[in-house]
Amino acid sequence: MATSANYFDQLRKTRVWRSIFRSGSGTSTLHRSLVIQQDVFLHLFPTKVRRRMMSFSVTWYLGTLTFGTFLILVTTGILLMLYYHPSVPQAYADNKDLQFVVSSGLFLRNLHRWSAHAMVFLVFAHMFKVFYRGAYRPPREFNWVIGIILLLITLLLSYTGYLLPWDQLAYWAITVGSNIASAVPVFGDKVHFLLLGGNLVNANALLRFYVLHCMILPLTAIFFIAIHFWRIRKDGGLYVHGSESGQSAAKEER
Amino acid sequence: MDEEKERQLDVKELDRRSFFVKLGLGSLSIATAGTAVFAYQFLSPNVLYEPSPIINAGKPESYPLDSVTLDVNSGIYIIHAREGFFSLSAVCTHLGCLTAWKPELGMIACPCHGSKFKTNGEKIEGPAPRPLPWYRVWLSDDGDLMVDRSATVRPQQFLRV
Amino acid sequence: MSDSKDFVTGVSSNAKKDPRRVVFVTRRTSPQVRVADDEVVQTFPEVFFRTAVAIEVLAILLVGIALLFNAPLEGIADPSHTPNPAKAPWYFLGLQEMLHYFPPVMAGVLVPTLVVLALIVIPYFNINIEAEGLFTRNRAQRFLLFCTIAAALSVFLIIFDVYVALGPTLIVIAFMLLAAKSSATSKTAFRRYLAARPLSFWIMSWFLFELIVLTTVGTFFRGPGWSWVWPWRT
Repeated sequence: MATSANYFDQLRKTRVWRSIFRSGSGTSTLHRSLVIQQDVFLHLFPTKVRRRMMSFSVTWYLGTLTFGTFLILVTTGILLMLYYHPSVPQAYADNKDLQFVVSSGLFLRNLHRWSAHAMVFLVFAHMFKVFYRGAYRPPREFNWVIGIILLLITLLLSYTGYLLPWDQLAYWAITVGSNIASAVPVFGDKVHFLLLGGNLVNANALLRFYVLHCMILPLTAIFFIAIHFWRIRKDGGLYVHGSESGQSAAKEER
Repeated sequence: MDEEKERQLDVKELDRRSFFVKLGLGSLSIATAGTAVFAYQFLSPNVLYEPSPIINAGKPESYPLDSVTLDVNSGIYIIHAREGFFSLSAVCTHLGCLTAWKPELGMIACPCHGSKFKTNGEKIEGPAPRPLPWYRVWLSDDGDLMVDRSATVRPQQFLRV
Repeated sequence: MSDSKDFVTGVSSNAKKDPRRVVFVTRRTSPQVRVADDEVVQTFPEVFFRTAVAIEVLAILLVGIALLFNAPLEGIADPSHTPNPAKAPWYFLGLQEMLHYFPPVMAGVLVPTLVVLALIVIPYFNINIEAEGLFTRNRAQRFLLFCTIAAALSVFLIIFDVYVALGPTLIVIAFMLLAAKSSATSKTAFRRYLAARPLSFWIMSWFLFELIVLTTVGTFFRGPGWSWVWPWRT
C-alpha cells in the first residue's frame, strides 16, 4: 500500500500531471476554492456557499435529481441512436433488435424509458417544491418562468420520443395528440401540418420527431438549463427562507 | 514472547481511512472495467445486415473457355481457364476500389491508383501490396458454380468441371 | 445621535458600545436583507460530494428498475387498427380524462394554455409575494367572494358531469372553509397553519390535487371506449 501511494504521489508531481491539473493538491481552503474556480464546468458554482442551502430538507435535491435524469437520458439516448434508423418500418425492427439482439440493448432501452418517466415526475415535483417554499419571489421571477419553459421542453421531449418506437402505442398516442394541436383556433391545421410534415403520421412525421427529439429539443434544453443555473448563481444561490426575504420583517413592521 | 511473534509475522497497519479508500478505488476500477467490457460488446453489432459471402454464379456452361467475367454486384471475377474454373476478388488490394477487366490489354486494371494485375491475380505494376486473392469455388448439388468470398485459397487451385 | 424627538425607534442602543443594524421595511416589497452571520462552507467538497451522492443514488435506483422492468413495446404501428383504449403517456392522461368531458378546443388547447399562463405569472403578482393568509384581512368580504366562486365552480362541474374533478374541488373547499373559520389564535396548530395559507397556496394545491386525481383516474379507472372500470375487477 505504501509503495502504490508513493507512485501516485510521484505521478502527481510530474510536469505533465501538473500541466493538466493545475489547482495543485492539498486540503487548504485555497486549494479547495481553486478546484471549483479553475474548472470550466464547476466554476458555475461559487467557491463558498451558505450551509443552510445545502440541507436536504430545503429542496429535497429535486433540481439536481432532474438534471441527473437528464444526463442519464442524453447518455442512453446517444447510445440508442447507434442502432436506430428513423424510417418506416425499420424503426420498429430496430427496437426489436435493441431488445433481443444488441448486447445491453434491452437494458439501455429500459433505462432510457424509465429515466424519461422519472424526469417528467421530478420536474413537476421540483416545480411544486420551488413554489411551496416561495423561491419564485423577486428577484427570482424570471428564473421561475425559465423553469416553466424547461417543463414544457421536458414534456415535448417525452412526447416526441414516444413516437420513435413506431409501435401501436406510439402511433395512436401521437395521432391523438397531433389532432389536439389542430384544435388550436385559426392556425391549428397549419400547426398540425408543420408538426407532422404532412397530413398523416407517416415517415415524414417520424423523421421530424426524430430530429426534434435528438437534436433541436436537447440543444434548446441545454441552452435554457445553462441560463437557469446561471440565474441561481446571480441571485446569490438557492433560496433559503429567513436568510434573504423581508417576509418576517414586513410582518413585524405591520 | 508475543512481541517476538508479532515481529515475525510482520503485521502491516492499515488504518480505517486507507481501507475505505482502497475499497472505494477497488470497486470503482471493477465497475469501470465492467462498463468498458459491456460498452465494447454493445458497440459491436451481433447481427449484420450485409449480403451473404456465398455467391451462386450460375451454370458453368454460361462461361466460355478463356473468359474473364466480372460480377460487379458481388465483386468477383469468374475465370474459365484451360486448367478449370477459378474466382478472383475484383476488389483492389490497395485501397478497395473495384477493378476492371481490360480484354484488349489482357489484364485487370484498377482505375484509382493504376494498379495492374494478371489474370492469375499477380500484380504487374502499381501500389497494390498483394496479389488479388483466389476464392474457394465448388459445384452445388444443382450443378451451379458457387463462390465463397469469405474463404481464400492458395493460387492455382482450379475447379475441373 | 441621542436626540430621539423626531421619531420613535423602539430600539435603544449605545451605538458605540453595542451597535445594531435597524432596517425599515415598507409594505409590498421584497427586500434583500441578508442575515449577517449565515455560515459559509466550501463548495468543494461539501456541495460537490452531496450532489455526486444524490445523482449516484438516483442512478442506482433507475438502473435497478431498468434491470427488473421492461419498457413496453406493442405490435408495429397499424393505421388501420386503433387499439381500445388508445391512451396517451401517463403525464397526459389527466388531459385525456378532461377530453372526455369537454371539446378538444377547451380541454386540449384552452385549459393547458391557461394553466401554463397562470403558472408563468405567479411571481409577478404582489399578493403571491406578500403571501399573507387568505382570510387575514377583510374576512367577511373575502369569505363571501370565496363562497360565490366555490359555488359557481362546483355547479359548473356538476352541469358537465365532471365528478372526478368535483371530488378534489369539494375537498379543497372544505379545507378553505376551515381556514376561513380559523386565525392565528386558533386552538390547534393545524388550524393556525391553515389560516396562514395564502391564496396562491390554495390554488396551487387544488391544481396539484386535481392533477393527481385526474391522472390516477385516466391511468387505472378507464378501460375500452374510455368507459369507467374498477381496476380490481378486471
